[in-house]
Amino acid sequence: MHLSTAKANTTIVADMANSLLNMVIGGHEDGKDKESHSDINDSAPGPDNSDSLQSLTQEHSNDDDSHHILASASASASTPTTQDIEDENDPAWSIATTTTTDSSVDDSSNSNVTVTLQEDVPPTHPFAAPDMSLIFDYSPIPLLLLSSSCCITRVSKRFCQDWHVTEKDCVGKFLLPFLDGQVRETGASKSKHIAEAVDDAVASRSERTSKAITVKSAFTCRARVIPIFRGAELVSIYLEWHERPTSDVLDNELVQPGLSTDEAFRILVQALKDYAIFLLDTKGHIATWNTGAQLLKGYTRDEIIGKHFSIFYGKEDLDIKKPEMELDICLREGRVEDEGWRYKKDGTRFWANVVITAVYKNGVHVGFGKVTRDLTERKASESRLIAAYEESEKLKSDFLANMSHEIRTPMHGMLSACALLLDSPLTERQRDIVNIMDESGQILLQVINDILDYSKLASGSFSVSSDVVGVASIITSVVRSVQTTLPPAVHFELFLALNLPKSVQGDPLRYRQIVQNIVGNAAKFTDKGSIRVRASVHSEDSDSYTLLTEVIDTGIGIREAASASLFTPFSQFDLTTTKRYKGTGLGLSIAKSLAELMGGRIGYRPNPERHGSIFWFTARFKKIKSLEQIQDWKHQMAAKDGSPISHIQPDVTILQKRLASVAGRKTVLLVEDNIINQKVMLGMLRSLGFKSIDLAADGAAAVKMVTGKPVGYDIVLMDINMPIMDGQEASQRIRDANVKVPIIAMTAYALKGDREKCLEFGMNDYVPKPVDRKYLIKVLATWLLEKVDYRKAYDERLQQLKSCDEKLHRLSVSEGATVAVARRESEDGFLKRGMALGGEERDEKGWNTLPGRQGHEVHNAGVAQGTFEEPACVKIPDAVERTERPHQGPPPTPKDEQPGWLASQEGRQDLYNGGVGEGVPDEEVNANGDVPVPVPVSDGEISPRTPCVTTDQPQVEGEAADEYERIVKP
Amino acid sequence: MHSHYDDDREDQDIMPDFGEHVDNGIFEQILEMDDDDKREFSKSLVTNFFDQAEETFVKIEEVLNNNKLDNGKRLETLSSLGHFLKGSSATLGFNKIRDSCQIIQQYGHKLNVDGSAEPNEQVCLDKIKAALKTARNDKDVLADMMLNETHGFFQPDDE
Repeated sequence: MHLSTAKANTTIVADMANSLLNMVIGGHEDGKDKESHSDINDSAPGPDNSDSLQSLTQEHSNDDDSHHILASASASASTPTTQDIEDENDPAWSIATTTTTDSSVDDSSNSNVTVTLQEDVPPTHPFAAPDMSLIFDYSPIPLLLLSSSCCITRVSKRFCQDWHVTEKDCVGKFLLPFLDGQVRETGASKSKHIAEAVDDAVASRSERTSKAITVKSAFTCRARVIPIFRGAELVSIYLEWHERPTSDVLDNELVQPGLSTDEAFRILVQALKDYAIFLLDTKGHIATWNTGAQLLKGYTRDEIIGKHFSIFYGKEDLDIKKPEMELDICLREGRVEDEGWRYKKDGTRFWANVVITAVYKNGVHVGFGKVTRDLTERKASESRLIAAYEESEKLKSDFLANMSHEIRTPMHGMLSACALLLDSPLTERQRDIVNIMDESGQILLQVINDILDYSKLASGSFSVSSDVVGVASIITSVVRSVQTTLPPAVHFELFLALNLPKSVQGDPLRYRQIVQNIVGNAAKFTDKGSIRVRASVHSEDSDSYTLLTEVIDTGIGIREAASASLFTPFSQFDLTTTKRYKGTGLGLSIAKSLAELMGGRIGYRPNPERHGSIFWFTARFKKIKSLEQIQDWKHQMAAKDGSPISHIQPDVTILQKRLASVAGRKTVLLVEDNIINQKVMLGMLRSLGFKSIDLAADGAAAVKMVTGKPVGYDIVLMDINMPIMDGQEASQRIRDANVKVPIIAMTAYALKGDREKCLEFGMNDYVPKPVDRKYLIKVLATWLLEKVDYRKAYDERLQQLKSCDEKLHRLSVSEGATVAVARRESEDGFLKRGMALGGEERDEKGWNTLPGRQGHEVHNAGVAQGTFEEPACVKIPDAVERTERPHQGPPPTPKDEQPGWLASQEGRQDLYNGGVGEGVPDEEVNANGDVPVPVPVSDGEISPRTPCVTTDQPQVEGEAADEYERIVKP
Repeated sequence: MHSHYDDDREDQDIMPDFGEHVDNGIFEQILEMDDDDKREFSKSLVTNFFDQAEETFVKIEEVLNNNKLDNGKRLETLSSLGHFLKGSSATLGFNKIRDSCQIIQQYGHKLNVDGSAEPNEQVCLDKIKAALKTARNDKDVLADMMLNETHGFFQPDDE
């Protein structure tokens, strides 16, 4: 109602005027016929009625056009109307009179009116225009006026005549009860049509035509409902009753522009062969049929008319009530389009495009227009195209995968050859060239690997394995490997949430790949500041954890425009830096796919604190539920590791290369009395890349050096026969001092059984003399690459035992632990000793080829967390300091005099042997073999062997050694 | 590109056959540790070895001639000295010298070469004396092959 505007009113009033004009024209003849029906005429208009008419006339008076039409209608028709029948008492009529007087209405017509209607209504003004009331009453169309509350306020004479009612029967009654009494069918359903039309018309402020109703007097009619508004106010509702069948109304009105056009359309629709065009009634029954429909669907006109259109649908569509659904949507939306299978008369199907349009006539929903096209051909060619595309995609991926594989094989050959070449004596220039070859080869291999991964991911043939994942150890391991590439101005900070699970089930390789990628990126693009790696539990349910890993750097950052395409393949965000920062542009895209493959997501946002980036990803891992599961894995590991002395590595050159990559950071103690042998061993070790080699000329010196730096050496190479103190004695003393450094015996003519003998004295392995380089490489590789660093063994064991023993969880973890703030200290090489975190020694390039690596991850699970038991922040540089000078570190608490991984050996031994190990027999612990075999400690045995350092040489060497030789000698 | 790798192979090819004196495999391993064209490292090793060998021989001789010590004590010392030189000779692949050292070590333990006991200390001392002579001889032959200024493996101009 509030929507009313002057324009809307104008339109309505203009309509009204037209209607009235029509009435007036038609009523000219009828007027005389009905003069006799004076009784109909004399009822006093009710207040509603007068209001309505008043407003009507007022509206007219305010509108020049309608006024003019009204006036001219009166004039041209020369209708005998107006003031003679006007009720003097009704102000409405006087206003009407005024109105008409204002207009230039012909006086003569006024006089005619006066004469004609004298009997019915007393004339009030000789010059009054024809009375609206008269026009209303004598309209040939049965008319009703309703108040805004739908109370009948006035009826036309024709209405009373047609409906066989008197004015008294109607006026003052509400429309619906009145209609209910009049319609032939009982019940509200029919009169409801009218009510709906009225409601609709009022709501939409426009005219509506109701559905047909049949009244008692046995004719069918429809009501044309015209709501009349003054401003926002509904003043009256005007109803015309048209006594015509639906179809006639339809036809008549369709034909309005001319029958020929209708005919043309009919012919057009009928003749169309490529489209099935037909009408449905409101319920979906087929009403018309054209040639196209007949051709397409196979039904003739006679067969199909009256049938429901769901006949064209297949069973599946019918099951989901698709036809009904479509009509429903169509009613709501006005239109519905669908593609799908439709069925012909003969049962064959075709792929159809169907458009259904709701058809309204004069605001009445009369049915649906349906247009169907046969798209079978197009559908078939589409399918062929899609199939061809898919096939080519698959071929492409297969090709890529195969080719990548084929390329990788010779690449590996080339790289191995390069490695060999680098190992041989070269001039500086030659070395430079080979280094370039090697480096380029490595990059090329990385590119190929990326492409292989990418094509695998794209082709969906990438699988995720299920294994134990030690998230903390993977992250720390990656961090450590990346750390070596960082400039000194960059700090690494590692935050592992307290509730981070030690071990979960998932794909450790893939997880590592993502971490490696984003941490590597951070390192690549960060020149100064810090790189922060943060791992936490994002969410958790009964079966799984979703872990969030974030890498926050203070690097060059990413422009906003580029951030959108970060994860799209082959995109490098800044081409100008491409030369500086090598890469394929596939890394993040692969990382994204991998994260998604692991049920997670990956994302980027700018670093809010400083210039830089934050990359984060989530990945879902299953929980490891049972202890049995862990035990199973432990056994598998044990099987993998085998005995402490096992050299299964076949390819010495690869081993050597890997050894060379860590050798520079390892410190070796060589215990050898013979200067020639010393020199040879030194030369050999240096050629393998060892830089830090300490020498001891006899066992006593060795013991002194080792016990002086209990965690100083990575490995000890021990000659057996030496003056002062032999190797066996020395080893035993070292073990007695609780130092677990691996000791490798070097002895001539060693035979079977000698190993065991060496082991008895606390040594871990042996190398026969003269030392064979390859053999030495294997042994060193075993102890420096494969075995877990002895300095971590206790922490690790502790963690393993903890994970098995719920009771130990009471060893609570302090809040907000910062595990490590490590700074690169490459030169002096003591970082490795400081690094308490992570698993196996880093091996930047070869990590994913490391045999038994996954096993190691199990070992290492939770290593980092072990440090949580230390005071909140363990800063590695401090730790390093303390490593070097164990008693000079600032003691946070008496118990923590040393960092956790350095905690008092006695304490650890206790934990190891007793406190923690309860319920876990030593054998089981040892079965893994990665802990140096504990020395059988027996005072009785030791004392007699303990030689006096002051004895002269030959004596010292004496017994044990020579006895040994004796047994050995064939 | 003519790499050192190739050079090495040529060297290996032209390496004279030291016969039973040298285990070529082990000796090559030593040569491989040389950093450059010059055989500085290996030559110094060999030179040192011959010095060490000579010193040890002198010590052995001294013990053999030292009648103040009892036989048992002498043998023990001799065994140790034999063992000592055995280690370095084995490391360099000088097999003949190593074998003699082994004999010295064994008899110092009052054992025959096959490991059976030789209770006669004088026999042991005699055997050691003979072995020392052989060792010295072998050492001289080998030193000539290695270090002779005209035809030795290590030429003076290498330095």
